[in-house]
Amino acid sequence: MGKTLIEVVNLVKYFAVYTRGILLRRKIGDVHAVDDVSLKIEEGENLGLVGETGCGKTTLGKTILNLIEPDSGKVYFEGLDVYETLRSGPEEKKKYLRRSMQMIFQNPYGSLDPRMTVYDIISEPFVIHRHIPRDEWEERVYSLLRLVGLEDYHAERYPHEFSGGQRQRISIARALATDPKFIVADEPVSSLDVSVRAQVLTLLENLQKEKKISFLYISHDLSSVRQITQSVAVMYLGKIFEYGPTDEIFEEPLNPYTIALLSAIPVPDPERKINRIVLPGDVPSPINPPSGCRFHPRCPWATEKCKKEEPELREVRKGHFVACHYAENFMKGEKPLPTVQQ
Amino acid sequence: MGEEILRVENLKTYFFTEAGVVKAVDGVSFSVYEGEPLGIVGETGSGKTVTSLSIMRIVPPPGKIISGRIIYRGEDLLEKSEDEMRKIRGKKIAIVFQDPNSSLDPLFTVESQLNEVIMAHLKVTKQEARNRALELLKMVRIPDPEARLKAYPHELSGGMRQRVAIARALANEPDILIADEPTTNLDVTIQAQIIELLKELQSKLKMTLIMITHDMGLVAETTKRVVVLYAGSVAEIAPTNEIFKSMRHPYTAALLKAVPRIDRRKELKPIPGSIPNLIDPPSGCRFHPRCPYVIQRCIEEVPELEFTDQRAVACHRWKELSLKGE
Amino acid sequence: METSNKKLAKKRRSASQLAVVWRRFRRNKAAIAGLVLVGFVVFMAVFGSFFAPFPPRSFPCLYKGCTSLPPFQDWSHPLGTEPSGIDVYSEILQSARNDLYVGLAATLISVAIGLGIGVASGYSSGVSGALLLGITQVFLVLPVLVLILLFSRILVLLVAQGFGLTIIVLILGIFGWPGIAYITRGETLRLKEAEFIQATKALGASKSRILFRHIMPNILSPVIVIATLTVAANILTEAAISFLGFGDPNTSTWGQMLNDGFSWLNYWWISFFPGIMIVFSTLGFNLLGDGLSEALNPRLKE
Repeated sequence: MGKTLIEVVNLVKYFAVYTRGILLRRKIGDVHAVDDVSLKIEEGENLGLVGETGCGKTTLGKTILNLIEPDSGKVYFEGLDVYETLRSGPEEKKKYLRRSMQMIFQNPYGSLDPRMTVYDIISEPFVIHRHIPRDEWEERVYSLLRLVGLEDYHAERYPHEFSGGQRQRISIARALATDPKFIVADEPVSSLDVSVRAQVLTLLENLQKEKKISFLYISHDLSSVRQITQSVAVMYLGKIFEYGPTDEIFEEPLNPYTIALLSAIPVPDPERKINRIVLPGDVPSPINPPSGCRFHPRCPWATEKCKKEEPELREVRKGHFVACHYAENFMKGEKPLPTVQQ
Repeated sequence: MGEEILRVENLKTYFFTEAGVVKAVDGVSFSVYEGEPLGIVGETGSGKTVTSLSIMRIVPPPGKIISGRIIYRGEDLLEKSEDEMRKIRGKKIAIVFQDPNSSLDPLFTVESQLNEVIMAHLKVTKQEARNRALELLKMVRIPDPEARLKAYPHELSGGMRQRVAIARALANEPDILIADEPTTNLDVTIQAQIIELLKELQSKLKMTLIMITHDMGLVAETTKRVVVLYAGSVAEIAPTNEIFKSMRHPYTAALLKAVPRIDRRKELKPIPGSIPNLIDPPSGCRFHPRCPYVIQRCIEEVPELEFTDQRAVACHRWKELSLKGE
Repeated sequence: METSNKKLAKKRRSASQLAVVWRRFRRNKAAIAGLVLVGFVVFMAVFGSFFAPFPPRSFPCLYKGCTSLPPFQDWSHPLGTEPSGIDVYSEILQSARNDLYVGLAATLISVAIGLGIGVASGYSSGVSGALLLGITQVFLVLPVLVLILLFSRILVLLVAQGFGLTIIVLILGIFGWPGIAYITRGETLRLKEAEFIQATKALGASKSRILFRHIMPNILSPVIVIATLTVAANILTEAAISFLGFGDPNTSTWGQMLNDGFSWLNYWWISFFPGIMIVFSTLGFNLLGDGLSEALNPRLKE
């Protein structure tokens, strides 16, 4: 195991929800977007963050970068308190943090300023940070373009002249321009076509290997998470439900939600037997989530205990954390699965 | 295999845009057999959706069906009048779209949307239509169907809306159900619900299902035969359980190698380049600029779709290549 | 050397973006008609006094007995004369400059205020943003025309004559910004949440860089459009003010001529020709605005 690059400690972010109107508006409740989340990312490691709509995965990613102000909790980058430093730290530490932590967005059509050329977009980090001398800017822009698989002449064009996959490459080049050590990649391939998706995924894989960049890879596409991450965190309504090494969790999930989620994905192999757990009901709204275990209304194995007591995220095996009262029951060959009552 | 129920022959559907003529579907041929679940798989711009819209004859302007035949039970749908077509749509061939938000009318309740379809094709009283609507909602496993009848689309979740859309499509027990990316906009656990529902309905009703998707996993799970489209033409047709082991078209092989899998880590092999522009598609085989096995002939000559032992492939070199799955 | 080549290439690209807008604009026949009309009015405003045989607000016919002359009869007064002896043709030509001045200058003031308040209220969350929004909303519900009439009457009477037009410009400018502020506020709110702004924030860009390098240029095209439409609205409002008799009677504007004509309705040419000019100029600016809107925001068409 390498050094810890990012440490998230008890991070909380709620969004208050109001009735419509300005004068007489009342608070209806809170969206529990990020609810007491703790995570670690090792140097050179990719962490996958998976979950369905409204589980708070994007909010978590943006809050780690302080693009959204947290309610409480801390994030450390190489031991440096991110929020404290950005608020009142010395200028050069602020710049160091901003340079070291970058983000790639989901929508390649919205994440590039339509009125700037690709050259201006990729060189903007140089303008802001002045971390490399001016006469090297051009060479750097071209080498970044080549690194992400584009050509020199693309620099003079505008974003609307590119396809979705190419724009995502431009976003990646911009993020790389600051020489970051950590990148939050929020669904970077979900709006891309199947064959183009693989191009961007391999690009991310190579960046991790060759540039030793760690990614927080946010996605609902579990297959790509399996492909490019070393560890994975599963979120449900603002909480981490399971967290540990990717292969271990995909082989032997120990939280009923993870089990159901993984069984839901169709596998491109017609001979594979499908042993699917279909969850009843809809993905619930994160406003005022259910009591006890948030998953209990949909969980096929829920008991009285689950309705009342919220399970802690606990280490069930080395490095494998699960938030379920009955995690041990799901381990292979240890105890039989509780019966599904449906 | 059942009897042939639908045959698409050399279908060409073009879109006449300001920028030029987009050859969205350019000579597509395949057959559908009664009671079979057939997959049509392809990426954006492969022509899979336009093919389904052409079968229903609801291609939006500036699109037009240029030529070809669509034989449904011995009759060419392209020669039918608009009136005759209206009797076929929804009654004989029904479609479920990708986005239930836009295919349901926000101004009407679930009941009136179902009634509309039921009463358009059957002479029934309001009460009978209502009973049928209830029955349909039960069939697509909507909880508390009586209450849902009075609901408006915005009061339902995405998964529920897709169930209502499926119920509406099934209202008149169509011969063929076309499902165009029915799970793409849904959350993973809701996708699983809809997949299971479609599988169940297909086997229970012995329905002819045309599943249109970009997801090879969904194809593997829900279909028995599959048509692979690339850039508006058919690359390959094969039984589903064979195509994953021994594909004959390099595009099928490349597509499978480019998709990550949930059950294991693998070496991803991206397909180089991007999806061709259909205003000015590549000469010869449309896949040639991205194909690892390209030869001069591929650039010059358009490969014919060759039929052999229940399979078909449009590739000059398929006999000499032995393509394997992963 | 290579650097300068690349710089040149960049210049070319920017020019070509304008060229794209122009190509889209050119395809739109109504927009071209608008451009021609506006061009005509601008030409009159710039060169009108060269072609006008008589000075503004002068009464060349008063002692020559050619008052109340109908148009197309005496070619020294092609569009006829007023009973007071004013030459309609000269008056129309010389009014163009004043009308255009009111339209443009008032719009400039409105855009300056509206852009500032709109961007500020959209970009700053919290109390100051809400306060600015409140002010905008109050201005939006004011009975603007009544207030404009009131102020222009008081001010034109109070302040020395000859400044009447400038006072109307100020009043129109000061009451004309809320619509612009509303639109820029909406755009700013939308852009603030746009991913490319978030991406720039993640790069560590300063607030002023985000505001001036990213938000402003993206707001510019809707502002250009609404400014063009505001010019038309201002010309029309000025005409209304003058027609109602609240303008400066010593300044030639088309509205003032309508006011003249209202006293002699059977001499139709006195009101008809300035009326046509008002229609031409407002129609021109409106068509131009619509055309710009389509050319600058092709998303609307897709």
